[in-house]
Amino acid sequence: MKMALQRRHSGKDRKSPGAARSALRFNQGDHPFWWLCPVTIVLAVFYVYPVLEVLRTSFTDATLLDASYRYTLGSYRSILLDPALLQILEATFVFVAGSVIGQTTLGLLISLALQAGLKRRLFGVRAVRVTVLATWVVPGVASAITWQLLLSEADFGFFNAMLKFASLPPVPWLSAPWMAIWSATVANIWYGTALSVILLYAGLQTISPTLYEAAAVDGATAIQTFWHITLPGLRPTLLITVIIVSVLSLNTFEIVMPLTGGGPGRSTEVLALAAYNMVFYDFNLAQGSVLAVLMLLINLAVATTFWLLFRGSR
Amino acid sequence: MKFNRTLLLLVILSIGCLQPTGSAWAQDLVAPDRIGRSDAPKSFTFRVLTAHSNNNAQPKFAAGMAELYEKYARNHPDWRVRIQLMSLQIPQEHARLLEQARNGTAPDCTSMDSFAVPLFIHQGLLKPIEQYFTKEEVEELFAFVRPIVSDTEGHIYAWWWTTDLRLLFRNTAHVPDPPDTWQRTKEAALAAKRTTPGLDGLLFNGGRNETTMVDFLPNFWAQGGKLVDEKGTPVFGKEPNRAYLLNAIAYYQDLIKSGAAPARVASITDYSDLTASAIAGSTAMMISGDWVIGQMQAAMTPDAFAKWEISMLPGPTAEQRSTASGGWTFVSFSKDPEKVKACMDLVREVYMGPAVEVLQLLPTRQSEFDSMPMFRSEIYQRIKQYLKKSQARPGFPIYTAISNRLQIAISSTLSGSHTAEAAVDEAMEQVAKVVPKP
Amino acid sequence: MNYRSKRGITIYIALALIMLFFSLPLLWLLSLSIRTPAEILVRNLHVIPHSPTLQNFAQVLNNHQFLGYLWNGLKLAIMGAAGACVVAVPASYAFSRLQFRGKAQLLFLVLGFQMVSPLVMMVPLYRSMQAMGLTESHFGATLIYIAMYAPIATWTMKGSIDAVPRELDEAAMIDGCGRLQAFLRIILPVSLPGLASTFILTAMLGWSQFIVPFILLSQPDMLPISVGIFYFFGAYAGSAMQLVAAASVLSLLPIIVMVFFLQNFVVGGLTAGAVKE
Repeated sequence: MKMALQRRHSGKDRKSPGAARSALRFNQGDHPFWWLCPVTIVLAVFYVYPVLEVLRTSFTDATLLDASYRYTLGSYRSILLDPALLQILEATFVFVAGSVIGQTTLGLLISLALQAGLKRRLFGVRAVRVTVLATWVVPGVASAITWQLLLSEADFGFFNAMLKFASLPPVPWLSAPWMAIWSATVANIWYGTALSVILLYAGLQTISPTLYEAAAVDGATAIQTFWHITLPGLRPTLLITVIIVSVLSLNTFEIVMPLTGGGPGRSTEVLALAAYNMVFYDFNLAQGSVLAVLMLLINLAVATTFWLLFRGSR
Repeated sequence: MKFNRTLLLLVILSIGCLQPTGSAWAQDLVAPDRIGRSDAPKSFTFRVLTAHSNNNAQPKFAAGMAELYEKYARNHPDWRVRIQLMSLQIPQEHARLLEQARNGTAPDCTSMDSFAVPLFIHQGLLKPIEQYFTKEEVEELFAFVRPIVSDTEGHIYAWWWTTDLRLLFRNTAHVPDPPDTWQRTKEAALAAKRTTPGLDGLLFNGGRNETTMVDFLPNFWAQGGKLVDEKGTPVFGKEPNRAYLLNAIAYYQDLIKSGAAPARVASITDYSDLTASAIAGSTAMMISGDWVIGQMQAAMTPDAFAKWEISMLPGPTAEQRSTASGGWTFVSFSKDPEKVKACMDLVREVYMGPAVEVLQLLPTRQSEFDSMPMFRSEIYQRIKQYLKKSQARPGFPIYTAISNRLQIAISSTLSGSHTAEAAVDEAMEQVAKVVPKP
Repeated sequence: MNYRSKRGITIYIALALIMLFFSLPLLWLLSLSIRTPAEILVRNLHVIPHSPTLQNFAQVLNNHQFLGYLWNGLKLAIMGAAGACVVAVPASYAFSRLQFRGKAQLLFLVLGFQMVSPLVMMVPLYRSMQAMGLTESHFGATLIYIAMYAPIATWTMKGSIDAVPRELDEAAMIDGCGRLQAFLRIILPVSLPGLASTFILTAMLGWSQFIVPFILLSQPDMLPISVGIFYFFGAYAGSAMQLVAAASVLSLLPIIVMVFFLQNFVVGGLTAGAVKE
């Protein structure tokens, strides 16, 4: 087995004279096994059992109330045939798509502005950075309650009061079903952009400055530079960012739940919140697991789609 | 510059390491995580709602509870009580308790929200405690308490020590007389709005939250409606309960359609929103809870506060009235009878009386209303009368599922996305799927 | 000169708008935190209340557990992030540099673990941790953090290592280094900025993690701020909002401290990439 590996790897490395020798000597480093060991062990010991349990439970009718259960497809049938599922998926789609687009775009804008501002040593740039990061540091429940106050449709609701000031009619931010999901999405964008900023800023740093210098010499405008140098250079980072943002947005309900509870009706009940309600109000562990499986599948589909779209030069 | 910064960082980090540990309190009888001497021979774990303990975030309440704990510690020198805290995230906390109870790692003595108690009784996880209380004490409890904390054979599993109830608050400057029917409430709200443009007539919780249910159910119960039958099977979707439910929802809808209540009630999930409006003078009436009385008094000028009055919730007719009560209990999971007794001693000496006065909450026994000075005032005596007519949420585990579905039904009807009939029928259908196995 | 200053102004405007959007809720939170209990329910447009007070901050700081919550939160976040990075870095190197069958599938499998909702995993997680005797300890919680954040860390580190040109590896190996040495001596130092941002990312995720510490820890003195914040609510939600707001504002202290001291490593400190031509 080892001999075969040796031969395979030495074949690949046959680019330069010394390579064959080093390949033979140190081919153990070429085998991914040891590199992947730590991650595999950690995930296997702590994560595999709970994940498999969730998968297994989705095929039962287990509840939190009862230690006994039977294997059945009834839970899947209940969820998939539920007329409300469509509305939940719709809300989830708006929420996730809005969050991905919003967080990535804002994250990009902020990173670019930060980079440009820091280069020019503009005053106050550091304050912007701290403010954006602070949104993630403040406990989620406090942020949600603050957003609830801002979006409140009472006289003292900040946004409606501002609208009144500008002689505009008030908006039913949280009490109109079609509007509520957008309000929740905006609050989530506010909450999660910090992560995109961190990722995209690091990505910006990997673009070689000589490219920018060359562009400047060629007399490129800011937009041309952005389109032809920055964006392509950021492509791999953008891929990772949108995947991570979509995974996190799909799994999160920290902001939505205190804000609307999933209402009015079910208009802001995203999948993650539906799973929460299923487990903690209906005490239905099995159906909650089905929803988790659904979330997993959607996550995988979204990530794979992004991967295929962005692959480009890979 | 760099050197100074690093030094400063180290200093700050080392301050973080110096948080007060248990040893700083070894000499005291009461610490944030302990009642009794730390070297006492016997101990039990006690999980309590933060706001009901010496860890209450407001110093005056914390100090008051610490005093009561100290008295208990002096009376029971052999015991050391290890305090754990419970937050107001009721579904998560109780799910965690459920799991821990099954695993045998639940605390010996713990707070429990009143409407979760039936769930644990049905699971057979709680220890009976009726032997620690006298018959008179039990009989003095308000009527709604007994069915929730007992099983079918009359054993008691939880001591319900504090409660609350829902009231109609009105600003007498706009609504001088208490409306006793739905019709009169709507009229009063509209009349107030006519005389004072820009005023909201009536505010209440209509969004998706348990608070909405507790405020809404009295309208259903006043007509004689039942959510479940004696066996715990959901019957709210069947006649005549279905008609009662639709009547009650129609009342809410009518309030919005006529303009008596603003459309935004469909998104209100928080009593603070209502209280804030009352304080700001932007509403004539609201449906809220008794604890708000103290909040309003603290925030308003005496003149403004004097204008506000409370009354029993209105019903379809003047005779059909009801209100809803929740509250907190203490239960024991311990298999050691000594610990159960120690737990109940703590409940008796601290919570069954003294704590309600310290924390300014409502007691659950009629005698406490007469014996404690704070509750002898006119307002509290009236509250006592209302409590006699109050009801609690049904004592069956299926309640939370019913509540979730009805919240959806109510808020979707009020926001206009569903008709009431369709919403209620769907709620019944969904709940039927959840019925636990016998 | 004219063009440059016009650019400067555009950047300023962009930054100002960004500041407005992000700081508005934070300012509101600040306003709530300086109100007396009487004024907390007085909702008007005045950001500064009639009688501002610092007593909420004093009350929160006097709370015996508050600093402990912050410290625990920091500890768990940093230990979890460090562990996740240590575990993820070799894996991301392998995914970036080594060729093997099923690489893409394995990458997605790793990420797949991240995609299962921790909420639904709560019950089996508790049971398995209990069986291993790892409940009620920071050690156990840290291990779960590591398992939870290693996938994201792997993906982001892979991105950073991908950005390092392979010529560096090959140059090192031609000079006689094995893969491991090339990795330790050349690749790792060069991708340090990426490692730093991965560390910060996972630390921030760990800071806001609620479910895992909630289910695994019961003792108040072990809880992080994400759980502890709930203990500042009064007996009825909303009845002590001023304390929750004050606690939230104070919980920004560690981040401000960290950013101030470590700003060379945080976003913005390191100037352009380390690739030397």
